[in-house]
Amino acid sequence: MKYNKFLKQNWLYLLLLIAALSFPLVISSRYYIQIMITALTWAMAALSLNLILGYTGQASLAHAGFFGLGAYSLALTTKAGLSFWLALPLAGAFAAFIGLFIGLLTLRTRGHYFAISTLCFGVIVFIVAGSWIEITKGATGILGIPKPTPIPIPFIGELSFTSQTNQYYLVIFFLLLFLFIIYRLVNSLQGLSFMAVRNNEVLAEAVGINTFTTKLLSFVVTNFLVGMTGGIYAVLMGGVSPTVAGSNLTFFWLAYVIIGGVATMAGPIVGAVLVTFLMEYMYSLGEYRLAIFGLILIMAIIFFPRGLVGVFTRLYQKIKDYFGGIRGGGAGQNAAKSRKANETL
Amino acid sequence: MELFLQQVFNGIMLGSTYAMVALGLTLVFGILHVPNFAHGNLYMLGAYVTFFLISLYQFGFWAAVISSMVILGVVGMLVERFVYRPLIGQPHINMFISAIGLLILLENSVAVVWGTSAKRIPHPYPDTVHLLGITTTQQRLIVIVAAVIMIILLQLFIKKTIHGTTIEAVAQDREGAQLVGINVNWVSSMTFAISSAFAAAAASLMAPIFMITPTMGALLVMKAFVIIILGGLGSMQGAILGGYILGLVESLGGGFISAAYKDVFAFGALVLILAIKPTGLFGKESN
Amino acid sequence: MKNVLKLGTFALLITGLLMFAAACGSTDQEPKAPEQEQADDAKAVDKVEKEPIEVVIGFTGPLSGPAAQYGKDNVNGIEYGIEHINSNGGITIDGQKYTFRLEAMDDQADPTQTINNARRMRDQLDVPAIFNPVFTSIAPLMDINSEPDNEFLMMAYSSTPAILHLDNDLTVRIPPSFLIYVEAFADIAWNEGWRNGAMLVTLGGYGDEWREAFREVWEHKGGKIVADQPANYYTETDYSTQLSAALATNPDFLLVGGPSEPTALVVEQARDLGYKGPILLVDQAKQDHVAKILGGTDLMHGVMGVPATADVGTEFAQEFKKGYEEKYGVINTWEAVWEYTAIHALAAAMEEAGSVDDPKAIREAFPKVFPLTGEEYPAEMFSMGPRGAIHGFGGVQRIDDNGEYTTPLNYVWWTDSQDVLDEIKGVSQVGQIELMKIDE
Repeated sequence: MKYNKFLKQNWLYLLLLIAALSFPLVISSRYYIQIMITALTWAMAALSLNLILGYTGQASLAHAGFFGLGAYSLALTTKAGLSFWLALPLAGAFAAFIGLFIGLLTLRTRGHYFAISTLCFGVIVFIVAGSWIEITKGATGILGIPKPTPIPIPFIGELSFTSQTNQYYLVIFFLLLFLFIIYRLVNSLQGLSFMAVRNNEVLAEAVGINTFTTKLLSFVVTNFLVGMTGGIYAVLMGGVSPTVAGSNLTFFWLAYVIIGGVATMAGPIVGAVLVTFLMEYMYSLGEYRLAIFGLILIMAIIFFPRGLVGVFTRLYQKIKDYFGGIRGGGAGQNAAKSRKANETL
Repeated sequence: MELFLQQVFNGIMLGSTYAMVALGLTLVFGILHVPNFAHGNLYMLGAYVTFFLISLYQFGFWAAVISSMVILGVVGMLVERFVYRPLIGQPHINMFISAIGLLILLENSVAVVWGTSAKRIPHPYPDTVHLLGITTTQQRLIVIVAAVIMIILLQLFIKKTIHGTTIEAVAQDREGAQLVGINVNWVSSMTFAISSAFAAAAASLMAPIFMITPTMGALLVMKAFVIIILGGLGSMQGAILGGYILGLVESLGGGFISAAYKDVFAFGALVLILAIKPTGLFGKESN
Repeated sequence: MKNVLKLGTFALLITGLLMFAAACGSTDQEPKAPEQEQADDAKAVDKVEKEPIEVVIGFTGPLSGPAAQYGKDNVNGIEYGIEHINSNGGITIDGQKYTFRLEAMDDQADPTQTINNARRMRDQLDVPAIFNPVFTSIAPLMDINSEPDNEFLMMAYSSTPAILHLDNDLTVRIPPSFLIYVEAFADIAWNEGWRNGAMLVTLGGYGDEWREAFREVWEHKGGKIVADQPANYYTETDYSTQLSAALATNPDFLLVGGPSEPTALVVEQARDLGYKGPILLVDQAKQDHVAKILGGTDLMHGVMGVPATADVGTEFAQEFKKGYEEKYGVINTWEAVWEYTAIHALAAAMEEAGSVDDPKAIREAFPKVFPLTGEEYPAEMFSMGPRGAIHGFGGVQRIDDNGEYTTPLNYVWWTDSQDVLDEIKGVSQVGQIELMKIDE
């Protein structure tokens, strides 16, 4: 019975999970798998951005900067001979550590000020990555990052990551891990204080939440996750160059979060996958493609500030209410319930 | 000593552009609270319009500069009406996103229409000038003088005319201004027009010295943000002073310390200053 | 109701976009038609029974963003080459005719997009070779070009020796190494009696390597670098800060350069600041392009750099320049010249290998297609090194004190053998050739 209920409530997610896992088995095109790898890597970055932006209400525009810090950290440590599986958490920790320091400096500011000072930090990372030639090899970047160390599996052999399919599963694994971490965090007591800070900082302070440490915690966790994402990106590409810290990336991730649905679990993933595929699809438009993307972004924020997930949940609710109404009674109750469900989503 | 003077002169010239761009930005960001991240792209657009008028319609240099200001003024009003006004009252990040959308739209539209190769406006005043041991060109002197004149004119407009004072009134107290019958929407439009026209003027004056490319405004807008935050949001004096100071810091820091890291100085200073004083160097406590 | 309206507009917008996309997709196909006709004509003349098969060649590189023009120069060269190959009837393997088509994709020099584009072109168009002109994109491409059953030939347009150090079996490096210019500049400057050099070269991978290499060679000779003031030629437009600092050291010569347009600004601003001495341009900047931007060579007395493409002295160079500039409305650059010749080399290698889709065989056949000389090509190519470097001249041309271009001096840099030099002199149409061995 309990099992049944779980299935009934989560059938959509399970279906999506099965689809995601079987994707490379069904689709043989290396191109589509590659796009999916890109999209899901960006989805990871967008997920962590959503934690600080959507749930905590702080627009950190240094996201690509921390992504770059993680990528460079992984590049340097693996090149020095460290195993990928140690280098990856280290990349996250490095980004988180710098994030702690930068958070202490910038989180005292609010709103636009925070956005701009983090953006400035992002640009600094970009410039330093391109100029500190002794360490970062300048604009050429660091090449020849080894693929993840194969995992030995008893009796079968080892799991290596040289094939594209296995790289896809590597990305899926970390995406699910990130989803799990963020889901647990957001639905914990700590998550409630994140949202309290977002909704009204003064009020949050008044009820005894230390808003500064709350924001700092969210910022550090965000940067840990995005640092790891940077590390994964670096190992998949086999090299890093200053483009990994470019503010363009931050802007795109922001767009994914907004178009998908801010402060929802699914939003960043929906946004990243949809926009990445749409941009690839619109390829034949050539130079018009980005101009159109800019236009879509403006329209989306004006007409659908809650993003696609917002639109669909509202639509879904309407349909549900409508049918509930026909069956007679319970419509309002139903709506209230699902609305509540949405909020926790 | 000569080198020092030369660098000071370079700094002042650079600062003239910064001041004009920052002044425009502080009007919309400081006063209307619109983080117009596409301001650098309006600057870029201004340069292209000037180029277009000169090369296609054989406008004289000054006629082209003034026409470009008028055209960009109109563009600014349209931007305010369709990109930012619908978002008033929503979370601040929304306007930021809208600005980024506009930035991407403008940059790529210009690339589509005018191509990506760098454009050049022929020098109207190419002669070299020797002054106090400094060597420079007439055009550079004109940039400096024209910037000062335009900045003074703007100050006079805002302090001495009815239209100008409404801008100040809205800046000081939006609700109050509304109560005494000021049409806030009209003031917003006007502010955007002035802001964009200033960007166009700065870009057009510099165009003969520099190259015109679709990405020419990208870094400039970041610097303008740094300037107005350091100078205090909404403070016009702060923007002007900040513009010249940043120009000097860059030319002296770049010339005497490290050219590769000169932009790091500016952005680093901002992060540090905001850490110490979260509302900017001369900023008042705001909402 | 309002929501329905909103949704409606959104749906309409999306549908509109998709239709637009479809429409543009079909306009993309249009330019193919004339080529098809030409191929048909050629067929009619040759009386070949089989229909020609179209081979798609891939390009991915920056076609928008700051480096867009550089990307376009490359695309133009390849496209122009393909046009000529096709109008001459394509290539024939075992009686089967093949014609070419270029699929050029934009990646804004972003390596992620580069990989996506490469995957798409491999998957959907089955391209046997991909051209790319950006080192940071070439490196990740070399990471995926050797997958079993999914190989492709990497046609790398980058003058850095680092390409060769990656030791990839399926790579062809098109332009000559920039180290030639480093050595040649240092030689000439030293013989002129100049000792103090100031550098104002672009930031970026290429510029960093250039500065480092020049400093090493110059200091090895006993010269001094009195100022090293790099500037980002892609984002900056005012160089007076760096120039003032560099000129204050009273250098004997100034080494500057990055893309041609900003380099022109640097030259102009240097002259505006009263500098009258010699200026050396790194190979990315092209002096004829700089002169065009500056409206002549008035400010360029004593400038030294890569020869103007039209001055290399071959029959075909002038004809190429005329046809190219007429067709594309931009000045012809070395990128276009090398790429044009390289696509011909590729076509010839396919013919030699007897295959249009086996990258290994094509790569193995590559060394056999040379020399390609000045009767038919705007640049000459003589042989290929073991790691895929095409051997073509690197040269230096100076502008004298009257603003006249002098005859370019060309270097054979891949060997120190006098015999090879004599052999090359026998086939080359180029006037002045010298030996200067470079170690990459």
